[in-house]
Amino acid sequence: MTWLVYSLIVVFFWGIVGVFQKLGANHSTPDSLMVWTTIGYVNLLPFLFTGSHLTTLPPMAIAVGLLAGFANGLGAWFLLIALNKGATASVAVPFTALYPLLTIVLAITFLGERLTRTQALGISLALTAAVLLSYEKEVPKAI
Amino acid sequence: MSRNQHLLRWLPWAILSCVGWGIYGFLAKVGSAGVNATDMQILFTIGTFPLIAFFLFRRSGLGSDNKGRIIGTLIGVLAGLGGIAFFAAMERGKASLVGPTTSLFPLITVILARFALRERLNRVQMIGILLALVSAGLLAM
Repeated sequence: MTWLVYSLIVVFFWGIVGVFQKLGANHSTPDSLMVWTTIGYVNLLPFLFTGSHLTTLPPMAIAVGLLAGFANGLGAWFLLIALNKGATASVAVPFTALYPLLTIVLAITFLGERLTRTQALGISLALTAAVLLSYEKEVPKAI
Repeated sequence: MSRNQHLLRWLPWAILSCVGWGIYGFLAKVGSAGVNATDMQILFTIGTFPLIAFFLFRRSGLGSDNKGRIIGTLIGVLAGLGGIAFFAAMERGKASLVGPTTSLFPLITVILARFALRERLNRVQMIGILLALVSAGLLAM
């Protein structure tokens, strides 16, 4: 069950991030906020490099990690494009909360993951909850 | 512009956004099998550089005031700490469970925004909070 403890830590940190994103929207363009977010990531690097095993990793493992970062960046960028193309945030943001669906499909197909009925029900409710929680009537405008 | 034309302008991008994040979750699981969480976060950070370079090249990434820069950096630090926990969760659990569970983070956002920003919760979000708590209970079983 340690996965659940770590997942709740993720929910805590990313939940706070959501509040700062609301605050930052009035002081930054979305693209610029992504740039400064990455600078924040970079600030963590000196601490992360302590005890790192990067130099001993196989090239494939390194490629997967790099691609994970790139795919996440693309996800965020495509949402910004959707909003620029006229999507209302109250529709597009809850819609993109469905992103774990693809992760689930890929994990079942390629990693052979299996779920119990209770877990499947929990996942369905979690995805529905994520969509509902992301629904906002008004969203702060970026400058 | 008709409603359908309008939808066709943005919906493909929203779907692509889901694809990007969905693949991110999958790659996080695959990568975490052989790489520890902090190394995954290092690689993840470097993986975002090409996109950021593109934003800087077309100068769209420069529109922040001082407060925006500080907030953006804070977002990166907090998101990075969350990212380390995300890779640690992926290392220990199924991607099909970790993905949806961690997608519940707006639960904390709406509750904090209620108190810190005095935002009012709408009914849809209240139902979302209830469902999130039930789902977390089920996933913990």
